Amino acid sequence: MAQDFLLHLKIVYLQIRLLYMRKNPLMALAGLLVFIASLSCNTTYQSQSLQYKSYRITDTISKNTAALSLLQPYSDNVNKKMNEVVGIAEISLEKKQPECTLGNFLSDAFLVMAQEKYNTRADVALINFGGMRLTQLPKGEVTNGKIFELMPFDNLLILQKVRGDILQQFLDLIAAKGGWPVAGMTMQIKDKKAINVMIGGKPLDPKATYTIVNSDFIANGGDNADMLRPIPQITNGYLMRDAIFDYIKKLKNQGKNITANIENRVTNAQ
Amino acid sequence: MLSRKKFIRQAAMSAGAIMAGPALTQTADYFSPLKLTILHTNDTHSRLEPFPMDGGRNQGLGGIAGRMQLINQIRSEEEHVLVFDAGDIFQGTPYFNIYKGEPEIKAMSAMQYDACTIGNHDFDAGMENLATQLTNHAKFPMLVCNYDFTGTPMEFKTQPYKVYRKGKLKIGVFGVSIEGKGLIPDNLFGATKYLDPIQKANEVADKLRKQEDCDMIICLSHLGHQYKDNKVSDEVLAKESENIDLIIGGHTHTFLDNPVKYTNKKGDDVIINQVGWAGIILGRLDFEFSKFSGKKLTKNHSITVSQKSGG
Repeated sequence: MAQDFLLHLKIVYLQIRLLYMRKNPLMALAGLLVFIASLSCNTTYQSQSLQYKSYRITDTISKNTAALSLLQPYSDNVNKKMNEVVGIAEISLEKKQPECTLGNFLSDAFLVMAQEKYNTRADVALINFGGMRLTQLPKGEVTNGKIFELMPFDNLLILQKVRGDILQQFLDLIAAKGGWPVAGMTMQIKDKKAINVMIGGKPLDPKATYTIVNSDFIANGGDNADMLRPIPQITNGYLMRDAIFDYIKKLKNQGKNITANIENRVTNAQ
Repeated sequence: MLSRKKFIRQAAMSAGAIMAGPALTQTADYFSPLKLTILHTNDTHSRLEPFPMDGGRNQGLGGIAGRMQLINQIRSEEEHVLVFDAGDIFQGTPYFNIYKGEPEIKAMSAMQYDACTIGNHDFDAGMENLATQLTNHAKFPMLVCNYDFTGTPMEFKTQPYKVYRKGKLKIGVFGVSIEGKGLIPDNLFGATKYLDPIQKANEVADKLRKQEDCDMIICLSHLGHQYKDNKVSDEVLAKESENIDLIIGGHTHTFLDNPVKYTNKKGDDVIINQVGWAGIILGRLDFEFSKFSGKKLTKNHSITVSQKSGG
């Protein structure tokens, strides 16, 4: 600032000399203004206006070649990995309500893997119907990429200890929504309520505490499961998708493929 | 032959012209406003390639190749450009599952990002991994003022703020992020201490204004735009702040049609912007500055906001 001030002083001195010579009064005047502005040492800049614009990154924007070559070694490998076969589906597994083969396979996977990863016993596993993002897992080779399509979200597989009466409320919600995949239990749907609920072969006890395997999405109140929100979540960051991969691997080690049956886990009461 | 008097007069005039040159430039500097262009993204979520052409509503959108082309073009057109990201760089495509964020951070360095803040998903492959990716591949700082990483692998890997000089402008930038509890699994958040974002943000902004003498203060926030309950958000922060001029937001994946203006505790304008997620949109904010005497600063700082035409 001091340097600026000296510079301005020098300029103004020359401007005044020019003015004195009556050669360039306008320039001198400009110099004087500069001088006055520089007098206050404590100057600051303040934003006065803002113009905004949102650029949509569409394919009409040409691709930067440096970015493409940075990405290429990674994308080659990612595409290769996504095409890797992780297992064989013996049948086409379907997504349907109130019960389906795809849902039974997945809920079994979650019940088994949660107990293994949390090293604890669990009673039931439940999946929100909308959480399955494929309508069908086709018969034949199942690739890594297919499992990503089935479960693209990074939802966590978590545990909750739920009192029987709260679980009943949750099952009523599931009934009202037409039935979701379950493992470890059976139920019937009547007038949008869950009836004849059997857990581990015994009728649901409103006062008992059950350990349920759930997604963090539902446990956080997703799909209107507000009754589960206050219940603490036991979590170690295990992804639901990783549970599917681990379960397929586990089956493979036992010499088994991907398959499931309709077992009347969830039915509409007549 | 020139008379002696005429010669002196001519010599003086030439000297005057030489000296008047810089004087005029200086004068022009005083009266033509200074410009600063800010480009920003948030919640890019490992979306390195455009969304696949699968009939989805975002198909073909995003990707670093298009974004980098655009950033480079704007940099070539504007003198003073800053590029920021508001966190959640990680998680969302198989790239992250396989490479744990390496190509994401490399790409941001190649795009010459100036800073980012930390999002909850940036913890997803562990703090040790995040620290490694930043150390090995980031040419920009990760800013956060309300996480205390003492005793964790992230200790010394972030800084609360950074001051950028752009021509005559001093721009103070700091980061603030969301409460980990209930959002980041305990085993990933580790011994990280979450500090009150409003209190810390005001502390840092005050320091940037008074000690660092910044002309503009920008907050990179991963708090989220707004909530139905009174959970801390960018909106709450803006109203409770004193020295923040601009909040570049993230976390809630909010596509704002235009930057939103709030009034802070002192009656000054605070601007908030957020551009959805996945790098579908690159936000651009062109600010124009005027020079003021420190003592004569208008009591309530207000700013006019309009849509940029063309370009």
